[in-house]
Amino acid sequence: MSRNKELLSKIGLRLDGRRANELRRIRCKLGVFTEPDGSAYIEQGLTKVLAAVYGPHQVRGQRSKAQHDGALVNCQFSMAVFSTGERKRRPRGDRKSTELSMHLQQALLAAIKTELYPWSQIDVYVEVLHADGGIYPACVNAATLALIDAGIPLKEYVCACTASLANNDVPMLDISHQEEAIGGPTLTVAALPMSGKIVLMEMSQRFHLDHLPKVLEKALQGCKDVKNILDEAVRLHVQDVGSSTGWVIKN
Amino acid sequence: MFTTKSFIKKNKIGNYLKHVREHYIRDDIFCGFSCCETCSLVESSLTEEYVNKCSLFKFNHYLILDTNIILEQMDVLEEPIIGNCIILHTVLKEVKHRSLPIYKRLMSIVDNPSRHFYIFTNDHHKDTFMPQKDGELINDYNDRLIRKACSWYMDHLPNKKFVLLTDDRANKNLAKEDEIPAVTTTEYVKHLDEQVALGDKLKKKDSEVQKDAKSIFPPHLSTSAMLIGIKEGKLYQGTFRASRDNFLEGFVNVEGFEDNVLVQGRKGLNRAVDGDVVAVQMFDKTEWVSPSEIVLEDEGVSEENIKDIQKNENELKKNAKNSKKDEIRPTGCVVGIIRRKWRQYCGILQGNSDGLYQIFVPADSSIPKIRIETRQAEFLRSQKFIVTIDSWPQHSRYPHGHFVRALGKIGQQSTENEVVLLEHDVPHSQFSEEVLSCLPKLPWLITDDDVKKRVDLRGIDICSVDPPGCTDIDDALHCRPIEGDRLEVGVHIADVSHFIRPGTALDLEAASRATTVYLINKRIDMVPELLSSNLCSLRGGEERFAFSCIWEMDKEANIINTRFHKSIIKSKKAMTYEEAQITIDDKSKNDSIAQSLRNLNMLAKILKKGRLQKGALVLASPEVKIRMDSETMEPLDVEIKKMFETNSMVEEFMLLANISVAQKILEDFPDCAMLRRHPTPPSTNFDPLVKAGKHLGFDMKIDSGKNLAQSLDDATCETNPYLNTMLRILATRCMLQAVYFPSGAMQKDEYFHYGLAVPLYTHFTSPIRRYADIIVHRLLAVTCGADSTYPNLLNKQKTVELCQNLNYRNRMAQYAGRASVAFNTHLFFKGKVQDEEGYVLYVRKNALQILIPKYGLECNLFLATKGETSNIFEYDEDNQTQKAGNLIIHSFDRVVVRMSLDSKNIQHEKFTLQLVEPFIEGFSVQPLGQTEMEVDTNEAKTDKKRKSTSEKGNNKRKS
Amino acid sequence: MALCEAEKTFVLHGVEENFRIDGREREDYRPMELETSIVSHAFGSARLRLANTDVLVAVKIEVDIPFPEKPNEGKIEFFVDCSANATPDFEGRGGEDLAIELSNSLSTAYQSSRAFDLSKLCILKGRKCWKIYVDILLLECGGNLFDAVSLAVKAALWNAQLPLVKSVHVDGNNIEMDVSEELYDCQKLDIKNAPVMVTVCKIGDYCIVDPNQAEEKCSVGSIVVAVSGDRLSTVLQTGAGSLHPTTLVESMKLGHTVGQRLNQALWEALQQIPEDQDVGFLK
Repeated sequence: MSRNKELLSKIGLRLDGRRANELRRIRCKLGVFTEPDGSAYIEQGLTKVLAAVYGPHQVRGQRSKAQHDGALVNCQFSMAVFSTGERKRRPRGDRKSTELSMHLQQALLAAIKTELYPWSQIDVYVEVLHADGGIYPACVNAATLALIDAGIPLKEYVCACTASLANNDVPMLDISHQEEAIGGPTLTVAALPMSGKIVLMEMSQRFHLDHLPKVLEKALQGCKDVKNILDEAVRLHVQDVGSSTGWVIKN
Repeated sequence: MFTTKSFIKKNKIGNYLKHVREHYIRDDIFCGFSCCETCSLVESSLTEEYVNKCSLFKFNHYLILDTNIILEQMDVLEEPIIGNCIILHTVLKEVKHRSLPIYKRLMSIVDNPSRHFYIFTNDHHKDTFMPQKDGELINDYNDRLIRKACSWYMDHLPNKKFVLLTDDRANKNLAKEDEIPAVTTTEYVKHLDEQVALGDKLKKKDSEVQKDAKSIFPPHLSTSAMLIGIKEGKLYQGTFRASRDNFLEGFVNVEGFEDNVLVQGRKGLNRAVDGDVVAVQMFDKTEWVSPSEIVLEDEGVSEENIKDIQKNENELKKNAKNSKKDEIRPTGCVVGIIRRKWRQYCGILQGNSDGLYQIFVPADSSIPKIRIETRQAEFLRSQKFIVTIDSWPQHSRYPHGHFVRALGKIGQQSTENEVVLLEHDVPHSQFSEEVLSCLPKLPWLITDDDVKKRVDLRGIDICSVDPPGCTDIDDALHCRPIEGDRLEVGVHIADVSHFIRPGTALDLEAASRATTVYLINKRIDMVPELLSSNLCSLRGGEERFAFSCIWEMDKEANIINTRFHKSIIKSKKAMTYEEAQITIDDKSKNDSIAQSLRNLNMLAKILKKGRLQKGALVLASPEVKIRMDSETMEPLDVEIKKMFETNSMVEEFMLLANISVAQKILEDFPDCAMLRRHPTPPSTNFDPLVKAGKHLGFDMKIDSGKNLAQSLDDATCETNPYLNTMLRILATRCMLQAVYFPSGAMQKDEYFHYGLAVPLYTHFTSPIRRYADIIVHRLLAVTCGADSTYPNLLNKQKTVELCQNLNYRNRMAQYAGRASVAFNTHLFFKGKVQDEEGYVLYVRKNALQILIPKYGLECNLFLATKGETSNIFEYDEDNQTQKAGNLIIHSFDRVVVRMSLDSKNIQHEKFTLQLVEPFIEGFSVQPLGQTEMEVDTNEAKTDKKRKSTSEKGNNKRKS
Repeated sequence: MALCEAEKTFVLHGVEENFRIDGREREDYRPMELETSIVSHAFGSARLRLANTDVLVAVKIEVDIPFPEKPNEGKIEFFVDCSANATPDFEGRGGEDLAIELSNSLSTAYQSSRAFDLSKLCILKGRKCWKIYVDILLLECGGNLFDAVSLAVKAALWNAQLPLVKSVHVDGNNIEMDVSEELYDCQKLDIKNAPVMVTVCKIGDYCIVDPNQAEEKCSVGSIVVAVSGDRLSTVLQTGAGSLHPTTLVESMKLGHTVGQRLNQALWEALQQIPEDQDVGFLK
């Protein structure tokens, strides 16, 4: 860890040339595969994630897991062995993947209208192709898009974003791997940006209480920015799909 | 808010991973010119009002700097005559990568708006960014980016003129091809209006290398060859430390080696300068020698002549042959320099020679003389000034450097203070406006709110005891009987953390200064005077905020309970040690103050006894006080500081408070409590002490602090009462430096304070003059609910960094204080000749090192002229004695010497000693007033190699 | 995918008529899309989409010690991961059997020095060699996995760039390698003869290549032929069912010719891949 590196230069630019409150470039696409009911691909900077949604369908395996009042949401987080700098030995099943699967489930449950599908199951699978910081947010965002592609009713978008502190003072958004490695604590927030509700918050290290509000605020702002980008992508996608079936969209 | 374009930068490191980094190219980067209409305006200090006056160009122009200019010509850039410079981000990154100190200097220029520097982020700008080509070297790529930025500026602002300043010939030529005006610094500076002084500051890069110049030094290995050698274990990397006594000797501290590697002679040192990181090659074991015991000074005057060196070297060799077996050290030679640690050096010109080239003599005797080029030699001869080293070519006896700035006339108090401060890196500029704006507004009043939050102790009889003339009083005491035949003892410390809030400019400045530095006639405050001498100072009769530590004790000084709280106090009286002592001793006085002082004194004695029993060391270092004439600011007298019982009384309670606080904060902050440790010295450190003890027939036990304390107590001699003190002085020099550290950075058993023999210690009692105490106050305030935490307080990493600075500044402040004492002692002795009593501290081969207790001085009494062995004295190395006829001189023997100041070398005024007693025919001189003075040519020299004195709680109070 | 009897008959008749359910002839392949350099931080990568079969391959390298019995050779390891994205059946460890079958077949096919010369990966005899990790991620299954995987692996290896070792210093047990940090001076691997696998599937009396999922269900037996240059490097029989020796020989011949054609097509496609593509899954 190099102590000489400042995360935010005097001129206010980060190591990759972004400003503190800027997200990385987000590119995304809905419906990348034909087999799943819904699928999506997202790039946040260099972090790349594929998500696939199957369902709602009958509960597989143990029938007893089925719930009378809502759908079962089953999430699996997995990382390609080549996704990290050092090659990973296992794509999933390790502690971190299991934890992330649970966090993903937690975030999605808050958005999916599960009560519409009792006795059934929805599978959400995410596959990280390149991990360059902010894996979890990318997974949440990709999963949201895949759910939309699958046509599963959501309360609203669920978006996630990371934030940290530069030079122990300035909050900054969407932390890259390089910044994660140098910098201080990272705050991950998954939120329902329209209603402003936080569905998941996690910190990589201790945060001083004085800093938390401004970093949290920054992360929430990030979630809102992400939502706008996703929303635009969804609209374009619907327009695309729609026009091929002869819809005419006004405006 | 969105990024415009992205590209990918690849590199691989380590286990051959391929890394990919994002690099955003932006369209919102400001060019820095307020007149520009296309760029979005951001703050910039470039201005049309400033004009660069260089006669090469008939028009006003803006300078774009190449990396090499910044790295090498920083001294020129620091001159205010150069302004309106554009620093490209490409350049800035490279500068930062190559040299952090230079980067910091550059940033301080950039931050100064009157210099009109602007940083242009060219590598993220959409028009000035270019990807690196395959196979293109990073330097070429950077140069290309610089040129691209130049052309862009010329296109972007066609009615402004830009000039590229570069010393890189290739880049300059390529720039010319692109029709970019480019000049070298030398050309540019030559045509500046004020070129005389500036010319001196130019770094001489291409110094005329004569083809036939003989190499004086062996060549250095290339960096890669050194790295390979180190990897293969043939070479070793270490820090070079030059000897202060012998310019042809030095040591290399190699990590992992028990002993330092000795290097000797011109070839052995091979152009290493004190502090450099070097590669050494070890000699075969049969060629290992012991460090020479002779004192050698570089008396060379010219650059090429090396005859005198050769003579000195021969002498060294002779000496080496006689090396004693048990003192043989690993020996080697420097084969290359890994990293230069050159800084700026204070000093003077040598001699009166004319010409462009002059020899500069640094004040620090571990630094070689430096050759400089100057056109103002006449002026410089009267000045102390600063020089920096540029290079040390193989054919030159001295390193080449250039003039940076003058400090003032030689011998003036103000100049010397400046030198002392600079040499010890003491920040001593005026407090900035920003810092001063953090101070409370006068008149300062205590509000009801304050009273509510604090315990009101204004009714208690509190007093302070300090040295005379002390204006920054940071502690006060009280003691009163309470029920149950107990005593309540309170230590009240100025509540500085109330005024210095974390994160403010004032706080940052204080943290950077770390400590108040006391010179003989000058105090460099850590915090502005309003706080240090007024609002925080616990003056008598004034209501002040304090942080109180209050114990309930029984009459045997056992602590029943301890509490801490913030309070308001009103000191009844600010006393000096002497006054307090008189009050205690005067039986007729029986007021509450006198009584509490007596009680305190009684308790302090019990505490001290207990402490000593546990193995706390009583160490000694001669501390002198210099009485100054208040009008002429000249020293009137030099004397050893007087100690009263009350000194020790205050010290005991300060120690107790510090220990109590340390326990409390560690309890609540196991990871980030600021503590102070004094490491147990390695047993080899005690060798000189054990050896000295053995000669005198004392068995020095050094296995534990307690045994050492016992041994020291036992080692007394009736005929020589000063002997015990001398041993204690020696013991002090065996100690390591005490340091601050955050509790999380060490294991519990490493917290130990050796000198005080306590498991936990911190500094709490002097927040006005030590920053560590402010941190401790803040921590303690949190534990007693008086204040809240802030992020950096709980950040272990930040605390580690802070501690490093505090330790460094403290050490430097200590050295600076001593240097100031030494200078004033010299001033006092100017023109005086005196006979004084002294004691032999060490017996060396050609000299006796003599301690003169009255002045706390340590000087060499030379027994023979240089290079010759005395025909009077016989040196016995085993017993460390010198024999002359029937007379044998041992270590610790009492002598009488005649002292006078030798001012031949204005920079290194030295004391010349002549032996008066015992009288040795043909060597000693008659006592003063008995015969006429004989002129003895013996040289002598002060030696201020006084190593760190150990911690003694609060006893090193203000001079 | 489950098929009823009528559907199976339909498939069978289609094959007999040389007019398969998706309109292909028996020796035709479905359309393929190939992209390389898709995983930027890997030393080589490729993504192959064969109709609905989607395979992503990345090549990573590490420095390793050669096997004592083969001191002059480097190492290559194949790892297949069946992503649950492809089908929920792969969730957890569900895809492991298939993954092992695929990776084993690749290992066998690459074992021969004619197919892939491992001695080029040796840095210092008996002491240092490169180990190549070929990581295959199965993203969607639309039938004919072996062919798709082998093509993608070959493309990824073609794309791979091995760092250039400038010099090696040996000092006792210490080996210092000086490796070029520049990406432009890298070595390419020789993959001219790297095997291409062809699955030949017997449906009714005829053999077909590139079966889709429906056809795989109707197969009475299938073999996978790994074609390396003009030779066969491995042949293995997959799935249930049995084959008559004559059919086996016929299938191998068919596999051989198709394999060579396929190899040629791949080679041509690789040459045509533009340098800076930045599309990936966004297309």
